[in-house]
Amino acid sequence: MTEKPDSYEVAVERLEQIIDRLDSGQAGLRETLDLCGEGRELVTYCAAELDAVGEGLKELKLDELATKLASSAEAGAT
Amino acid sequence: MELPGPFPVGRYAKTLRDELRKRARVQLIGEVTGLRQTPKQSYFELRDSEGAVPCTIWANELEQLKLPDGALRDGAEFVAGGGPDYFIGSQASSPGFSFRVTQLRLAGEGDLLARLDALRKQLQVEGLFELQPQLVRPLLPKAIGVVTAETGAARRDLLAGLERRGWRGTVVWAFAPVQDRHAAPAITDAIQGLAAQPQVEAIVVTRGGGSLADLWAFCDETLCRTVAMLRVPVISAVGHERDSTLIDDVAAVACSTPTHAAEAAVPLDCIAARGSLERSAGSLRRAAEGAVPTRTPHLVSLARGPARALRREQLALNQKTREIRAASERGITERLGFQRRLATVVLERARRRAVGPDMERRREALHRAAVALRAHQPERTLERGYALVEAGDGEPVTSADAAVAAERVRLRFADGSVGARIEERE
Repeated sequence: MTEKPDSYEVAVERLEQIIDRLDSGQAGLRETLDLCGEGRELVTYCAAELDAVGEGLKELKLDELATKLASSAEAGAT
Repeated sequence: MELPGPFPVGRYAKTLRDELRKRARVQLIGEVTGLRQTPKQSYFELRDSEGAVPCTIWANELEQLKLPDGALRDGAEFVAGGGPDYFIGSQASSPGFSFRVTQLRLAGEGDLLARLDALRKQLQVEGLFELQPQLVRPLLPKAIGVVTAETGAARRDLLAGLERRGWRGTVVWAFAPVQDRHAAPAITDAIQGLAAQPQVEAIVVTRGGGSLADLWAFCDETLCRTVAMLRVPVISAVGHERDSTLIDDVAAVACSTPTHAAEAAVPLDCIAARGSLERSAGSLRRAAEGAVPTRTPHLVSLARGPARALRREQLALNQKTREIRAASERGITERLGFQRRLATVVLERARRRAVGPDMERRREALHRAAVALRAHQPERTLERGYALVEAGDGEPVTSADAAVAAERVRLRFADGSVGARIEERE
């Protein structure tokens, strides 16, 4: 895999295709090794998406979010 | 153009009052607000999200209606029957318009359902029910917005539902009143505020159950039109399963509880997904580790292929040889048998030929030959009176010289032999 998947859904779909192909036993040695490499990258990507925030569910009030965005926009402008 | 008049204002006020009183008497439905009661009259506004009308009712008329104690209060949904009126003012009080109420009752489910039904049909005709369901809801949003009351079970239930899915995203709360005439505009503002945040990928609007009057804010036309036109999917979880509000019709998904709303907002069960991801990683690891070892036996088998093929050919060849030898031996035996059978047939034919019609003639010829042969035998000659001279060793003595040399000879007659000595040659 050279490009980052567009979304978690796309990554999971491709991962399922890879597992199906490997399970079929029809992939040759080179293809198997390539698919394993691509699959590992997808697993890493999906795991990172699942842990997007990291520590757990985070709560924010709308006005806090708006303030945060405004201050980061100001910081960007300066 | 010059306007008519000027007219005395008092007369104009009376005319205005009379004209207004001619208007049809109707029933209005809305929320009571600003209630103020005096010994003579009660004043209040009947209001909904679009507007309001000032109402007055005479104290004695109100008393005759026998409303339950405390029923007429701010925030209550009422149906008021009457017509427009105009108070022309007095020395002590200012003039003013009001809706003169002569009938007043608490709004029932029927009134609200009739209003809801009309509004529902209107929005449906405009195609507003079809917009939100067409939006793509992300399987794993990073942030979701939630509009609900700051205090209440709905907030807690939704949060618990999200945590049960193992989701680690961000909840952006936009708290709003969920039950009074301020609710609908506040909820609309909150939804718009959340939709304006680029991080927010889905919005949940939720509150607990209640009567249709309690949930009436979620049937507000402006609120529902706003939701329908939003480009962010809205998940409604207002009331319980049997409480059908208009927001349920325009939202992308309508859920019966906040817990279900959590599942709709984050469609992916993250705990199950992590388990599945671990299994996928395991499959990949096994496939990678086994890629070479699983092929080794085949490679070895391929490497041994030529030798095995040779051995197989050798075995096949040996087998063929044995078969040929066996066949050959079987052929010889068969041929010998055949020849024996042939010889038997030939001999039989010869024998048959031999014992045919010539047999007697041959036998006679044989007899004749035997007679002729016997005539030549020395015994026959001896029978006729001749004698045979034999030396001591049995050899015939055929000359006089031989007889002299032998000195002793035997004379063989037909009936026996006698010895003789040669005395002299004559």
